[in-house]
Parts: sequence; C-alpha cells; structure tokens
Amino acid sequence: MSTTVTAPRGQEKQQQEAPIGSRWRVLLTPLAVLLVGAATIGYTRFAELDSTEARSLSLGFLADKLWEHIGLTTISTVLVLAIALPLGVLVSRRWMRWSTPAVLGIANVGQATPPVGAIVLLAATVGIGFWPAIIALVVYSVLPALRNTMVGLQQVDAALIDAARGIGMPAWRVLAKIELPLAVPVILAGIRTTLVLNVGVAALAGFIGAGGLGEIVVAGVNTSRPVTLLVGSILIALLALLVDWIAGLVTKALQPKGL
Amino acid sequence: MTLWEYIASRSDMLAFQTLQHASMIAQCVLIATLIGVALGIAVYRNERATALATGTTSLIFTIPSLALLGLLVVPLGLGVWPSVTAITLYALLPILRNTIVGLTGVDSSLVDAARGIGMSRTRVLTRVQLPLAWPVILSGVRTATQLAMGIGAIAAFVSGPGLGDQIFSGLARVGAANALNATLVGVIGIVVLALIFDAVLVLVGKLTTSRGIRIHA
Repeated sequence: MSTTVTAPRGQEKQQQEAPIGSRWRVLLTPLAVLLVGAATIGYTRFAELDSTEARSLSLGFLADKLWEHIGLTTISTVLVLAIALPLGVLVSRRWMRWSTPAVLGIANVGQATPPVGAIVLLAATVGIGFWPAIIALVVYSVLPALRNTMVGLQQVDAALIDAARGIGMPAWRVLAKIELPLAVPVILAGIRTTLVLNVGVAALAGFIGAGGLGEIVVAGVNTSRPVTLLVGSILIALLALLVDWIAGLVTKALQPKGL
Repeated sequence: MTLWEYIASRSDMLAFQTLQHASMIAQCVLIATLIGVALGIAVYRNERATALATGTTSLIFTIPSLALLGLLVVPLGLGVWPSVTAITLYALLPILRNTIVGLTGVDSSLVDAARGIGMSRTRVLTRVQLPLAWPVILSGVRTATQLAMGIGAIAAFVSGPGLGDQIFSGLARVGAANALNATLVGVIGIVVLALIFDAVLVLVGKLTTSRGIRIHA
C-alpha cells in the first residue's frame, strides 16, 4: 500500500516547487526587495561619498542604469520568445522529428558556453554597445527557451493528440487546442527561467559598455570603490529577485484551468 | 596572428590556466556535492526544513553571478576566495534539490524491508536509499558542473583563477591584435572543459550506479 503513496508524493513536491514556493514568500519577496532597495538608495543619499563614488551613485545615474537594464532584459527576452516559440513548434512537428537530437545537442553545447564569453566575443567581432549586447543575450538564452518549448510539446500525451485527430480536428487545431495548452506550464516555466537568466546576463553587458546596472559594478571594481560595487551588486540582485517574483505570479495566473 | 599561432606562442600559460580552471571547478563541485548531499540527507524527512533549504538555495540561485561575486568581494577581497565561494554556492542548488527528490523518490516499502531484516538507519541510508537515489543526485552534479564552468569564467573579473583571464584580457584589448584570439581561446577552452567534465560524470555514473537499477537509470 505504502508503495502507491510514496511515488506520487515525490512528484507532487517537484510540482509545488515550480511555482513560487510557500505562501508567505508571495508577499515577503517584494517587501524585502523594497526594504533593502530603499535602504541601499537611502545610504547613497546620506553617506559621505567621494567625488568618484558620488558620480556613479547619483540618483539620476542609478535610475538611468536601472532603466537600461530593464530595457536590455525586456528586448532580449521578447526577441528570444519570438524566435524560440515558433521554432520549437516547428521542430516538434511530426515531419521534423528527425531534427530533435541535433537541436538538443546544439542547445547543450550552447549552454556550456560561458555567457561572459559570448558577450566579449560579440564585442570583439561586432563591436561594443547596446545591440551587440542584445545579440549576445539572444544567442545565449534562445537555446534553453527552445529546448523548453520542445520538451513541453514532447511531454503531451500522444493518445490525446490521436484522439483529437480521430474526432476530425485538423493538425493546426490540434496544435492550438490540445498541444499548446497542455505544454503551457513547461513553456511558461522556461520563459521565467529565460527572463531571470537575462537579468543576470544583462549585468555582464556592463563589460562592453552596453549600459545596465553591471556598469556600476564594473565601475566599482575598476575604481576600487567597495560602496559602488556593493550598491551595483545589490541592485542587480534585487532586480533579479523582483523579476522572478513577478514572473512567478504571471506563470500562476496564466496556467490553463483543468491542469 | 592566427588562433593556432596564438595558442602555440602561449601554450605553457594556457595549459596552466586550463588546469587551474579545471581544478577550481572540480574542487568547488566536490565541496558542493558533499554539502548538498549532507544537507539533503539532513532535511529530506522534514517538510519545513526541506522548504527552508531549497528556498534559501534558490534565493542564492536567482541572484545573478556578477552581483553575487560583487557582494562577496567586499568581505572576502579579490582573488580566489570570492570565486570559489560563489561557484560552490551556485553548484549547491541543483545537487541539494536532486538529493531531496532522489531520496523522497525511494520506494518506502524497500526502506521498510531493509529495516525489517534488521539494518540500522545508517545502513539503510548507505546501502539502500543513497544507491537508489544516486542517478538522480549525479544528474544534479552534472547540471552543477555545467553552471560552475560558466560562472568560473566571470571569476577572472574579481582576479580569480582560470581561463576567464583570457576572456577578460581579450575584452581589455578589443580592437587590438589578439583580442579575438584570447577571447576565443578562453571560450572554446571552457566549452571543451565542460564537455570533458560532462563525459567524465556520465562515465562515473555508469561505473557507480548500482547494477540492479542500471536499466532504469
């Protein structure tokens, strides 16, 4: 008897982890982010800073960098989704199935590429600035997103697809009504990962002068100012936590009913 | 200068940095495996402790690597320590999570049977539960290793060891001679190392997975 209880328990736990953790964390995260953020910004207002620190920690500069960071993350994520979702659907069609191992293999090698390497390579070949950084971000995170779409579609029960075809649905309706809705949880989890990953990789864009909060960290190290370094790091961390939180809520809200 | 000439002219230094990178990752992942598995064993029976442990590690995991390195530089200074700490912390989450999933996935009737034939708790753990959970734990170690490779590259920014140094010296010389070569050597070196480590771990999995469950794994 106990056999039948244990196995599903393990699965349940995995599924619970996928959304956002326990209930208290739902409000705790934004509160903690706000608190630490306010304390950090407050500190830069009242502490005695030398001119180098003051320059990289002025309110206007911080706001600019934050805005650039959000821009880098959003634009690259939208581009990644625009590429990965249709491509994922395409390569998981029955007549494209032969390409699956090749695509997954490339995706695995791509994941082994260090993101900072991808960014610097782009800088060395294309040039420095905003758009090379966007290209690097897209190149880096398109593969995990693609893999997630494929895995999401693959795990849809083939019997359901057969049944849908059997009651006379054309292939595109099977895709729209059966496969995609059933794949949504996995795809959404993938989008959330992509988004959070991109906040982190966008921080590396600071290395190649593409803006973003990473520039504050780079400035902190280059000018040996621990305060600047700390403020930049804290702001990046807070942004990532906040983005993860928002994405978690959206993921929950968009979950198709009946799953 | 072509890529090959670049490699040939600096082969000693490159070999040293590659070795340094490999040994840094191997040590960090080893420490993370020991901590992760021990922590997993300690918490998997208690739901609250499990939630706390996975919650904390996934919080660390969400913090981007550059930010975590920056936060660690302030108390630990530049160099090896912040790099090693950051890599170990990142490697912890997949290992811990998979240890918990693996251990809770062990059929409880097997544990009952082992207890029934008179095995002690420790022996049940070492002879039944861990061997059965091992393939899952090992796949966590593989994920952790791959992550650690990429984060190891950023370590050079805080004067950490390894091939990241090539990438950052390429960055410092963008537009000048050898910038592309240095970056390429760093990136390709890390990718190759990642693939080698992964292959080794697959082999380790083949050799260490208990014979009775090899078909499932």
